[in-house]
Amino acid sequence: MSTGRLLMGWAGLLSIALALEGCSAARISVNDTLRPDDVAFIVPGKTTWAEVVAKLGSPDMLAASDSGAVGTYHFLDLKYSRVNFGWLIKPWSPVSPDLILSGTGIGIDAFEIVWDDRWVVSSSAFTRHAEGNSFKFWPF
Amino acid sequence: MKTLTVLALFFLFIHTTGCAFNRGTVGDELRDEEVSSLKKGATTQKEVVSRLGAPDRIIEANGNTIYQYYRYDIKAGSLLLILLNFSRINIRSDDLYVFLNRDGVVEDIVFGKRTSRLEFQFWPFGE
Repeated sequence: MSTGRLLMGWAGLLSIALALEGCSAARISVNDTLRPDDVAFIVPGKTTWAEVVAKLGSPDMLAASDSGAVGTYHFLDLKYSRVNFGWLIKPWSPVSPDLILSGTGIGIDAFEIVWDDRWVVSSSAFTRHAEGNSFKFWPF
Repeated sequence: MKTLTVLALFFLFIHTTGCAFNRGTVGDELRDEEVSSLKKGATTQKEVVSRLGAPDRIIEANGNTIYQYYRYDIKAGSLLLILLNFSRINIRSDDLYVFLNRDGVVEDIVFGKRTSRLEFQFWPFGE
């Protein structure tokens, strides 16, 4: 590799780095995300407690209901991103200005299963949907 | 290629101001040997409590008394660069359910151990 191309590469990297100065990205995940495909095997009136537990593991919450029991699988995927454009002005400014753009996407979801008194699934559904949990620097 | 790798490592090194590892747990660890010592149709309610302690939750459902034991494990990793910061926090739970019949004898045991797959990660993107 020629010195010229190497210097250009460094300059490119530094330019990108300067443009991204003050950037941060963070993510919080709680348990495994369940998708509709993961729970497609559940057939109300047929699938049993043992079959559900064998495939999905134990629910993290179980509660009694009039018709049997309700199990809930909670999961979360939070993505946070932030960029501070004020850093671009710092070298030429006597103060440390901030111009922060940040975005947070919280994908909270839970999958609930209702079992009847024989521990056969009577119904199941996602309570919410994990949408909007992407990295977004632009909040507008 | 080798020069590029060295340069990349050097670039990362001079721009790394620090990294952080954090760990948190909620509840006692549920050991496999303790769980496997519980036998369906033989172990009694008193023996369950003497081995595992008092349950975190007690549920009455479908004629069963269900003891729930849980534990949360948290691993957080942060890579603090001058220009960029990356953080990732992973949280998983272990949940043990012990089903007791009307006679106070263990009828079923369900143990979901997710924390064994918990990792320290820095990179927040992708899966």
